[in-house]
Parts: sequence; C-alpha cells; structure tokens
Amino acid sequence: MSASYQAIGWNRQKKYYDWLIFSFCLIYLAAFIILTAIFNSQYTFETVLIRSTSTLAVLILHVILSIGPLCRINKKFLPLLYNRRHLGVTMFFLAAIHGIFSIIQFHSLGNVNPFVSLFSSNTNYNSVHDFPFQALGFFALIIFFLMAITSHDFWLHNLSPKVWKTLHMFVYLAYLLIVMHVMLGAIQYESHPVFVIMIAIGSITVISLHLVAGRKEVKKDNIKFDPVKEGFVSICDINEIEDNRAKIFCVDKERIAVYRFENSLYAIHNVCKHQGGPLGEGKIIDGCITCPWHGYQYLPNNGQSPPPFKEKVSTYDVRIEGTRVWLNPTPYAEGTERAGAKINQK
Amino acid sequence: MIKQLRKRHLQTWSLLMILIPAGIIAAWVSIPKQPTSKLFQPFNTDALPIKLKTVDKLNYIVSLRTNKDRTALQLEWINRSALTSPSALIYEISEFATKDITENDLIGRIDVRGIFHFNLKNDTSLTRKFILYDIIHHQSVDTINFNP
Repeated sequence: MSASYQAIGWNRQKKYYDWLIFSFCLIYLAAFIILTAIFNSQYTFETVLIRSTSTLAVLILHVILSIGPLCRINKKFLPLLYNRRHLGVTMFFLAAIHGIFSIIQFHSLGNVNPFVSLFSSNTNYNSVHDFPFQALGFFALIIFFLMAITSHDFWLHNLSPKVWKTLHMFVYLAYLLIVMHVMLGAIQYESHPVFVIMIAIGSITVISLHLVAGRKEVKKDNIKFDPVKEGFVSICDINEIEDNRAKIFCVDKERIAVYRFENSLYAIHNVCKHQGGPLGEGKIIDGCITCPWHGYQYLPNNGQSPPPFKEKVSTYDVRIEGTRVWLNPTPYAEGTERAGAKINQK
Repeated sequence: MIKQLRKRHLQTWSLLMILIPAGIIAAWVSIPKQPTSKLFQPFNTDALPIKLKTVDKLNYIVSLRTNKDRTALQLEWINRSALTSPSALIYEISEFATKDITENDLIGRIDVRGIFHFNLKNDTSLTRKFILYDIIHHQSVDTINFNP
C-alpha cells in the first residue's frame, strides 16, 4: 500500500519472487536451447527462440490462471497472488518475443508488409486444419499487452476498478485464443501426441480449479441464516472467531467480514476497494484490517483506510447475546463509525 | 470479489469448459493422417554413398542418392542459404497428381538451414518431381524436376 505511485513498490518478498521467476525463466530457456542444440542442431537460433519462449509463456499462463482459484481453495497460496502481476508481465514479454520473432521469420522476407502478410497469407477461415492460427496468437498478444501496460495501480485508480477488472477478465478470452493457436498451429504440423496431452492436461487443470473454486463460493453464498430478530440475523457462536481474525458471512447477497479485535467484534464489507480482495481472509496488522491480496488496510471501527489513504468500505452493526453473534446486514455509508460489540470476558 | 463478479467468473469458466475441450478435439481430429516422424522433426538419416542426379538452385542443392546395390533411394536437400520459407514441406508429385497438393506423398519437412535426407520409394524410374510447399503461407515455393 502506497500513498504515491511508484513503478514497483519493492519489498523483500517481491524481490525474492522476482528472482525466482527470473531464474526459472533463464534455466528453462537455457535448457531448451542447449537440448535443441544437442539433439536438433540444424534448427536456427530464431526457431529455437520462437519455440522456447512460446512453450514457457504457455506454461506461465497456466500457472497464472491457476493462482486465483488455488487461493480460494487454500489460503496457503495467497503469497503467489501477491506476486501474480509480475508473473503476468513476464509472460507478456515472453509472448512478445515469440510474436516478434515469428513475424520476422515467417512474414518479413516477402515484399508485403509483415502485418498485412500475417492476415492475408492464409485466409482459410472455413478450414480447421488450415485455419490461420497466427491471427489467434496475434489477438491474444494484444490482450496481454493491454493487460501488461494497465497492470499498475495507477491504471486501476484511473480506469476505475470495474473497467479495470472487465479489461483484465479478457485474459480468459486470450487463454481460449492461445489454446486454439497452439492446437491449430504447432500441433497440426508436429502431431506427436505429447503436445496434445500437455495442452489437454493444462486446460483440464485450469478449468477444474476454476469450477471447483467457483462452486465452493456458490455454496458459501447460499448458506441460510436464521432466526431473524429486529433486522439482525444469528450468524455464529462468539468462540468461532479468532482474535485478530474474521469470519465471512454472506447475508442478503453480500459478503460481510466480522472481525474480532481487542475484545470487540466489528463488521465491515468483505470486498477490498483495491482489487476486490476478501478482507475477511486477512488479519489485523498494526490495528488495521489488512487485505490478504495486496496489503490494503482499513480501520475496524469505521472501515476507513488510515490517513493519507482515502479508501473506505461499508460498516455494519453487530451485537452479542449470550455467546451468539448477531449481524444486521443493512450497510452504513462507507466509512461510517460504528462502535464494536463488546465481548464480556468471564 | 463481489457476488456479481464471482458469478461472472463461474459463467465464463462454465462456457470455457465446453469451448476449450471442443476446440481441442476438433483440432486433434483434423490433423492430417501423415507419418508423425516426417513432421515432428526433420528426418535425420545418413547420406547414401552414390549421388545419382543433382538439381542446383540458387538457395539449395537437391540430389537423388542411392546405395551400392541400388536397393534404396534417398532425397538429399542442402540449404545453401537461409530459406525464405521457414517451415516448408516437400511433397513428391505423382503422375496422377490432384490440384490439392497435400494429397500427394509427403516426403518430409525442412527448416531454414541445414542438410536433410529423406528416404524415397525405390522404384526404377529416376524421373521424379518434388514440390517445396510453404505451410505458413499455403503456397508452392518451388518445383524440383529430376529428368532422365
């Protein structure tokens, strides 16, 4: 969390992950190039670069798409989410190298503009085998480019979270384009089953993870709370909420995080203003509710980010009767001060 | 995430659950039934000792080779300089050739640079015709004729 924009808000963890990403990419590319030089020495360096960067980019894309659902299934994966943007930008650079070298190698040696050649050299759109697969990769690359250049928080704030999120959800379309780019391209000409098996395993894994995580969320959303008393619903026993942690409840279609902090209970809207992270899955650090995704912070009693930050979320009324916790799902205006419900210690 | 966004994610992936496997299967079944070894990697075999005929082109030299007892026939392709068609296939054109070049006998795939050897059907005739086909632009690049 930073009051002013920086290119990258470096910290120890980010540096560690970036070195890990960089080292992995370097080892992968070096291994690919060396193995090709040993076993298929007749390939040109350009061809090896096109192939190595494409396979690495596809691999990283699968990892990126798996991180979101993995975090929803198991919180232990959250550190990966924190570094997902750097992985995304790395993937774009690799895809760009693949794209640029492919255009140079396949389309720049003729007398036609390479981009015109890309779209005009093959127009067999009615054929599966001969489909112009390069166009699919080109459009996917455009999506990755737009995502990479808008990945900074500057664009999130200026485009608005809704527009930004909509733009970044185009990654799913890009994924479909990439799968078909591979299937209608390389696999049509290098039909060894290992390639199809790899892409099929990757797709099945990503799709399954998203569906499992999605259904888990639907289950959470559909939990019914009763009884209802004076607008309050009984949600849980007081001992179910740990100190400095929260439990999340979906009441009236919205998720609310009920935090236990300094012997009181506080309820705030579960959605972080930054990128929609689940505030209830974070913890209290330095007296502030801290989003597990990117560390945005809010005060438990009023849902406001501590100065100089300006983010605010809605607050709710909580009360305790005996050991039962009751929650009123009607939100107060964002940033409204609410006294917490005192826990009577016996 | 807000509920609407969670719902949109689930709907998107439910749709992709249908589109991606359908796309993979459609692409998989449309792969031409050609010997995998001819396409997967350039066909690496040692050159046969006797050179029968040679066609010398600007960018490449193409030869027919055989062994001492003439029981095997081989096409040798030597790229003199980088090909302008980075991914090209060689087809042998028969006398019953159709307009669709891909229905002819696929000999193998060559890359930008290098020396390639491909085994041929060993019939008695040395009148052979080969076409270099650019698989990216879907066009014939060159025709190599070996005449008696």
